[in-house]
Amino acid sequence: MSWMAIILTFALVDNVILSRLLGVYPAAASAGTMKAAAGIGGFMAVLMAGSAVAGWALDSLVLVPLGFTLLRTPVFVFMVVGLSAALRALCALFFPSLLPATGVSIPEIGVNTAGLGLVLIITRGEYSALESLVAGFAAGAGYFMVTAMMTAIRERLDVEPVPGALKGFPLQLITAGLMAYAFMAFDRAFLVRILGG
Amino acid sequence: MKVPSPSAAAPDATLLPVLFLGLCPAIAVTARVVDAVWMSAGVILVLALSGLAMSLLSGQGDSGPTVRWLRALVITALLTASLEAALVAFAPVASAALGIYAPLIAVNCLVLGVVSPGSLPASPPRSLLAGLARGAQFAVALVFIALIREALGAGTITLFRIGAFTGTIVITGIIERPARALGAAGGGLLCLGYLAGAFRAVAPRAGVKSSSPEKAE
Repeated sequence: MSWMAIILTFALVDNVILSRLLGVYPAAASAGTMKAAAGIGGFMAVLMAGSAVAGWALDSLVLVPLGFTLLRTPVFVFMVVGLSAALRALCALFFPSLLPATGVSIPEIGVNTAGLGLVLIITRGEYSALESLVAGFAAGAGYFMVTAMMTAIRERLDVEPVPGALKGFPLQLITAGLMAYAFMAFDRAFLVRILGG
Repeated sequence: MKVPSPSAAAPDATLLPVLFLGLCPAIAVTARVVDAVWMSAGVILVLALSGLAMSLLSGQGDSGPTVRWLRALVITALLTASLEAALVAFAPVASAALGIYAPLIAVNCLVLGVVSPGSLPASPPRSLLAGLARGAQFAVALVFIALIREALGAGTITLFRIGAFTGTIVITGIIERPARALGAAGGGLLCLGYLAGAFRAVAPRAGVKSSSPEKAE
């Protein structure tokens, strides 16, 4: 698979939120401002890129050579939670104003499925280290883009008449669902058209 | 130290946001009812056993929030890995159908069993029952969404093959012209969104205090 194919696949065709339905909650439940979307989107993008490379390294250099592939799930869960905690600590150190604005709490980020799901996809896809890194960044960029788009739509919907029961989180899920239909245009045929046979 | 009563099958106000947090990734396996049943069974099993193990270990040394969190992490991850191995060995079709979502049972159980309010340790039987109750709430919501998606999106309800029963119920009138969009990923999100809205609309009438999923913490 070419580099461009990997980038387009992980950012658009197999978007973690809209195609794999991973990490939907942090994106849908974020505070609803562009700053919050940038915070959660950026955090998740870095987390996914880091998880992809760390997951590849653990799988290829430790678990597979030692024959411990049955321990993939616990190892990957610890790795993603650890990376998430470390990243959050770094954010608190260097960008303390950013995290509270996301409106999403530590457990929600710590146990969120996007990082773990991406690691599982990448290890099952047998990518190289560099391909894993590129795929991680592309998936992170896709996550960031979708979060920003959902927030922009939410800002418009906040001033529109909407049934009270659907305001906020339910409407964000419905928005994500409709966006998922729109993103179905980015399929394998789209890749072939863009990249050629 | 308050654990939800196992008899309280209806989702309570504080658990609802957590339930939706757990449901989000699991929605991906609701295109067929049988996959949702497998996922639900896995979640119920891991939740109940992890609750029991957490309760048995709660008397061992320091039980602060961090220690409890780490214990839960280790227990749920190992139980999920065991479940995955059992699925591969005894139900390879289900294992293949769940794909990357089988390992995510660990995350669902962490969310439903540890992050959720009122998940402090209790006696072993009570913890086991609380885990079963929470798993049942998750299962009801997941299978309900799967029923809607498969019945309307494919015109079938796929269950288990038993004897002469092929495992598939065909819904005449829908199978000829199904709303195939419901079977796509977007259909899962739409169903979950409308379900969340319906819960919010019905909860006050049922005497349950509403709680916004945005404030799960």
